[in-house]
Amino acid sequence: MFKHDRIRAIRPELEAIVGPENIRTDEAEILMYSYDAGMARARPEAVITFTDTDQVAPVVRVLYRAGVPFLPRIAGTNLSGGTIPLKGGAILNLARLKKIRRIDTAAKVALVEPGVVNMELQRALEPFGFFYAPDPSSQKVSTIGGNIGENAGGPLCLKYGVTSDNVEQLEVVTPEGEIKTWSYRDPGPDLMSLMVGSEGTLGIITNAWLKILPIPAEIKTASAAFPSLESAMNAVTRIISDGIVPRALEAMDKVSLDAALGGKADRFPRGTEAVLIIELDGSDALQVGREVEKVEHICTANSCSAFKLASDEAERELLWQARKGAYPAMARLAPDVLVEDGVVPRPLLPQALRETREILSKYKLTAGLLFHAGDGNLHPNIIFDRRDIQEVKRVKKAGYEILKSCIKLGGTISGEHGVGVEKRVAMNWLYGREELEFFQKIKTAFDPAGLANPDKILPVATDQHVESGGLTSRTSLSPSARGIVDEMRLRAGSGARTAVTGLGTRLKPGRIMDGAKPLDLRTLNGLAVTDRANLTTRAEAGLSFKDLRRQLRNEGLYLDLPELEGSVGGLIASKVCPEMKEFLLGLEVITASGDLLELGGKTVKNVAGYDAIKLFCGSMGAYGVIIAATFALSAAPREWQAFPEPAAWDAFEPDSCHRRLKRQLDPGNLLNPWVYGDAKEGELPQ
Amino acid sequence: MNDNDIPDGTQHPDSRLTADSSESVGLSGFHGDINELYGHEQAYRHLHTLLTDLGERKLYDAAAQCNRCGYCETSCPTYMLTGRETISARGRNQFLRMLVEGQAKDAGAAAEAFSTCLLCGACSSACYAKVPTPDIVLEGRRALQGYGDNFFARAAINTLLNAPAVFGFWLKLAYLAKKTGLPKLAAKMGLYDFLGMPGLVEAEGAVKHVPLHFAAEILRRDPDLEPGTKHAVNWAYFAPCGPNYLFTEVALATVRVLKKYSGEGIFAENLCCGLMAHNYGRIEDAREFARRNIVRYEDLKARFGDFPLIADCSSCAAFMKAYEQLFTADPEWRPRAKAFAAAVRDILEFIPPEKAGSADPAALEKAGRVTYHDSCRACHGQGIRREPREVLRALAGKNYRELPESDWCCGGAGAFAFTQPEISKKVLERKLRNIASVQADTVVVGATSCLAQINSGLREAYPSARAVHYSVFIDAVTGKNGQ
Repeated sequence: MFKHDRIRAIRPELEAIVGPENIRTDEAEILMYSYDAGMARARPEAVITFTDTDQVAPVVRVLYRAGVPFLPRIAGTNLSGGTIPLKGGAILNLARLKKIRRIDTAAKVALVEPGVVNMELQRALEPFGFFYAPDPSSQKVSTIGGNIGENAGGPLCLKYGVTSDNVEQLEVVTPEGEIKTWSYRDPGPDLMSLMVGSEGTLGIITNAWLKILPIPAEIKTASAAFPSLESAMNAVTRIISDGIVPRALEAMDKVSLDAALGGKADRFPRGTEAVLIIELDGSDALQVGREVEKVEHICTANSCSAFKLASDEAERELLWQARKGAYPAMARLAPDVLVEDGVVPRPLLPQALRETREILSKYKLTAGLLFHAGDGNLHPNIIFDRRDIQEVKRVKKAGYEILKSCIKLGGTISGEHGVGVEKRVAMNWLYGREELEFFQKIKTAFDPAGLANPDKILPVATDQHVESGGLTSRTSLSPSARGIVDEMRLRAGSGARTAVTGLGTRLKPGRIMDGAKPLDLRTLNGLAVTDRANLTTRAEAGLSFKDLRRQLRNEGLYLDLPELEGSVGGLIASKVCPEMKEFLLGLEVITASGDLLELGGKTVKNVAGYDAIKLFCGSMGAYGVIIAATFALSAAPREWQAFPEPAAWDAFEPDSCHRRLKRQLDPGNLLNPWVYGDAKEGELPQ
Repeated sequence: MNDNDIPDGTQHPDSRLTADSSESVGLSGFHGDINELYGHEQAYRHLHTLLTDLGERKLYDAAAQCNRCGYCETSCPTYMLTGRETISARGRNQFLRMLVEGQAKDAGAAAEAFSTCLLCGACSSACYAKVPTPDIVLEGRRALQGYGDNFFARAAINTLLNAPAVFGFWLKLAYLAKKTGLPKLAAKMGLYDFLGMPGLVEAEGAVKHVPLHFAAEILRRDPDLEPGTKHAVNWAYFAPCGPNYLFTEVALATVRVLKKYSGEGIFAENLCCGLMAHNYGRIEDAREFARRNIVRYEDLKARFGDFPLIADCSSCAAFMKAYEQLFTADPEWRPRAKAFAAAVRDILEFIPPEKAGSADPAALEKAGRVTYHDSCRACHGQGIRREPREVLRALAGKNYRELPESDWCCGGAGAFAFTQPEISKKVLERKLRNIASVQADTVVVGATSCLAQINSGLREAYPSARAVHYSVFIDAVTGKNGQ
């Protein structure tokens, strides 16, 4: 069937749902939805505008049945080509779904539709004394739906976490048009968090329950001018490792500063090459004041030439305008800008910066450098003119080299902008075949026909010819871990069923199905490996959580969680404390087929590929065997209330999506077969 | 003169200079290579170059400066109301770029995108590169088949240009048509649309009184404004069409305010600034208006030396400040237009806040709670935000309230309400909601289009409030106490 006809065939059905005026196929509309803020271009066949969230599922059902690809789009400020319809089909324009349905300050939750602009939500919360933590620089235009789709960050995510950490519950329309409501607290694998950052490839968000927080009583914002970016970076590393958690810790270089301030950089001393924006908050003015002093001291010790505390709201506003305007202000310098989004472990920022500069000068390019410094997230804004084909080629090459350098430093290819189409090829450098296959299985489980935002995130055939998987150095496994991998490979080969038992804290022998061979992980209890400067630790799954904390405490480091019983792996798989996900940066997992997966890593931000780490939170050993985890630490302790463990941690009634995932990830039902199968047969119900 | 001189003589040295400089300020020479927007024979209907915040640019380069970051979208009223990229600021820029690059084949397809633009310029204010979207959209409109060729509009503009008296007659005719219950006839005559009278057909009550005497006729008889034996003046009043033909009380109030605050002045005896012709696609007509006004100004300048030329409609003031852009290919007129533009002041920015004086309590009480609406061509077009607020705060004190989203367009936008009544109405509704939210009684505005539009909306939705021109407000509250 010709592409043109496939829309015409279903048009009456679509018009019946959204009204004829909201289905557009004319040239003007098609052209206007062929671009976003990135480089990629492709034309859709139709643009469908919704006026009610209830219209989304029926429309998706019609499109799915007709085999027409679709993708959700709102503000179109995507920087990685995520909203470009690579296979044509329909754009689902959710821009008019912008109701703030409820603000509940008692429950600290706001219920909003996807088209709500981030800033509008902030404005609506302000009179109640609340805020929503994710504050991407694009917040003036970018929407909650887009923020969730990309798992957006923003300056405040250093202290308050990225979007994924600030979502309570989501209503999702699956690619087949089913409506689901998922919370990360639901028993079983965390599907809600999997949706965050899935770029519209697994479903469409139609309602979001967001965590809102009281605005801190004290907020102090300071700017610090440095004679070099390196000295600024050294100050950053020092601030964080001293146990100070600023609300935001941002860096910008001179090029960005000049563009954003329109050349009025005279508020900083001559010779300023970099500026840090440091914001501290808290309920106790004295405490915040002490932290400001400490920060000033650290900055001065790192050759800061001017440390200035914003004296009023206007001055604070100006600093943030400069920071948040640094990307759009690049338009003053050239008609196009490529924003890179690499992340490295924070202490390696100076090195990443050095390499980035070398790459830029090698390709004779100009860039404004911006950093979410506290997160290790770099944004070189490379300016160019799309009409200069040679320059475009150089920009692309440089962009890829910068990403490779981040990967080599143990980082990742995207911290908050998403993979989309533009970083798809880089997924090959970051991940091995096993991880990419794993991601593909997730995609297939949700979208068997491949219609939801097709050809995004995962490399396609044409991307494969580029070097593959060689850039990351695989974690060296302990001998006992290697033993477990070998054992699992053998069992996979012979089709033997496995009961993943961990330390036996929660899973009692009575639950274990006959015929499943226990896999004892208590030998996986080596000392945790801690990266002090980066504030991360990698612990094996069999290590008792208490032992891990004791070890950390001895090193003066803390895991910001309540006291919990059981092993590291067991706690993740049982999800007795759902908040644990916020500290989980990396996971090593053995799949049912015996492959070793390395998911995530050592960076606090990572949106490369699906957030499969969250999928293992609450997976109860049925999706894979967790053998090690990497956690984010803090350098200062925090008091926790006594933690009442939920009684029925395994009262899990799998959702149809859980079952589909199980069929993809463990088709033979080899791992903890009782979780999904009939207890006797161990077969997966179809 | 010998033969060798001829090649040089055919090209004016200045024009070569202009051409060179426009090449050098553009970007790496892409412009000129591609332009599918209009043929050379149509060039006279277009701007030669655009004077942007980043320098002089060819249309293509000006549009290409948009890097699609999208930060303008939430400031664009038509996007916020419809959620459609196609009728958003970024969309319009991209559309023009695609037309120039030949990616979009049919300029007609762009008609909706271009014709729905309010030209409010909120996008340019939000844009870091200050991409001049309104100018770009106008260029796009000019490329549309038949745009500005409407017979009545052309006739009306020609009348206004060559026989202002006849135009006045037309207006009175329209007024009579209105009085005798034939407003549709008047609309058909194309009067309302080029007068920029919003929603006149829809909202009949927009103009209560069409004066039978125009401001110019009254001012001409004002002995205080007689040039007579004056050698120097502090100001000259430029009467824009709105105050001149429709809101006479605004023009007269402005003159009283000017006398009060700035002493000796004259009436410039000007023509229409040309904005309507410009926005209706006939740039040649706009240039002619401009040239005649420039000549008039130069005559006065020769006699009185430097003086500011005060206009009391922000749309006209903003347009006149951009006169230079009309003549970028014209080495003779360009510097003259630039000098003229430099003398133009909006009344909104002319009164120094420290000289505002104090208000008459009775008049102030009558005004009730006062708020200020940023007319688009004041705030986005001229960057005037601070001055009128400071004056109003000084005069109204605690009766002054800041209007939420004060720079959200009212939907008047010249003839927009006439050509796009549906969108215009929605834009206006949001403005009215904001006015109601601060429970304002008096909404001070700086452009006559806003005055008519907001008043027509208030009459229907919120009759206890009214919109008042800045000059009228100041004149009323400082009647006794002003300086």
